[in-house]
Amino acid sequence: MYEKILVATMGEYMDEIMEHTLDLLENRKIEVIGIYVVETSVPFLTPKKVKEMMITELRAKGREILKKMEKIFEAPGCQEIKFKKILAEGDPAEEIVKTAELEGVDLIILGTGKNIVDKRLLGSVSEKVVHSTPCTILLVKTT
Amino acid sequence: MLQLLLFIGGLAASLALVIKSADIFVDNIVEIGTNLGISEIILGVTASAVGTSLPEFGSAMMAILTGNPDIGVGVAVGANIWNIGGILGISTIVTGVLTAQKEELHRDGLMTLLTAVVLAVSIYFLGNISRVLGIVLIAMYIIYFWVLIRAHKNHTSPEKEDTYVDLKDKKRILSKKSIFWAVLGLIGLAVGCRIIVYCTVELSAIANISAGLAGILLAFGTTTPEFFTVLTSARKGLNSLAIGTVFGSNIFNILIGLGIPSIIVQIPVDPSTIYFNAPVMVLITILLLVLIKQGMKLTRIKGIILVAFYIAYIVTRLLFIN
Repeated sequence: MYEKILVATMGEYMDEIMEHTLDLLENRKIEVIGIYVVETSVPFLTPKKVKEMMITELRAKGREILKKMEKIFEAPGCQEIKFKKILAEGDPAEEIVKTAELEGVDLIILGTGKNIVDKRLLGSVSEKVVHSTPCTILLVKTT
Repeated sequence: MLQLLLFIGGLAASLALVIKSADIFVDNIVEIGTNLGISEIILGVTASAVGTSLPEFGSAMMAILTGNPDIGVGVAVGANIWNIGGILGISTIVTGVLTAQKEELHRDGLMTLLTAVVLAVSIYFLGNISRVLGIVLIAMYIIYFWVLIRAHKNHTSPEKEDTYVDLKDKKRILSKKSIFWAVLGLIGLAVGCRIIVYCTVELSAIANISAGLAGILLAFGTTTPEFFTVLTSARKGLNSLAIGTVFGSNIFNILIGLGIPSIIVQIPVDPSTIYFNAPVMVLITILLLVLIKQGMKLTRIKGIILVAFYIAYIVTRLLFIN
């Protein structure tokens, strides 16, 4: 049914997201795009050098996460899966939706994320994506 | 009333000027340093350590040099207590969890505690921060800085080394623009800090509070860069940067923030700092280290404990010790 899917992760809950993704794919011939978004926004009075430091750290973290994801799709039993990684920068929800549109994916997989207290305090990427998604979404219940 | 509003407005405007000037200054100093061929590691460590703490340093320095030592010491010690109880506590409550690395806890955490203990014990016995103590504090910072640079060198990834090579190969021309902005940043910092101290002195007289207490309250404003840095990094999952900023700032505020001005002039310390603020600073640092040590992380509950400790401190300070 699906030919091209986008798997988004910020590193947290990656095992759960990958478990559901692999179960859904069952080594079918499919293209998978892994995306990590470096959130670049900082409050006005954050020192510029600190902002640069944050972005450098997040890029390194993103590369590491995408590499881990790639390894999982290279494992035996995933030969039919074609994997591509994207390291984007900007607002996570906006970048996920934009990439989904640009790449023409039929499914976005991401985690439900935080608990209710965290969602109230930190906001939720998954909630934002749900409101402007161009395709079907699979929200993996994360714990 | 108009006078009060004028001073509050002046304080807010000068704080914004100081924070922005510090940012411009650090940014251009790093640029100049790069052009002069100074190692990117040294510049990076300096920028992160000094970047967020310049407003406290500038305000403390200006207060001490203009004959308001209680404000200067109040800012430095008050900022350290607020950094842990307020900033780290609130950030942990918001993000839910902040993990810590053993190496940072042992190196930076223990150095933060050592710094607090050295200051508290020294002022208890001396009653002031003398030139000799100032030299000891600065020497401690130089040693710590050297240890930091060594640690960063050991952790530099090949990718970062590549960038370093690229920078080294760049033609080293001192940019006049960078020098201009660095000087302008420094002037902004000095002018802003002078206005901050002036407004704080006037406001403390209007509100009938001691200069020491005014300094502690002023720390809420001067730590704004730390607040945004710690909260934003915690929200982005950059836990080491969040906790490291607090440790780095607390070490810098005492060793440099009080060390440098004490070389120029002996700093008298008021009894409320000797018998209350400094011991509280040591206690909250111990509390933080104990809380982190349990599971190598701060949780929301631990964040609430830190904030509760700060509230208890500031209420006691406001109600019982002026």
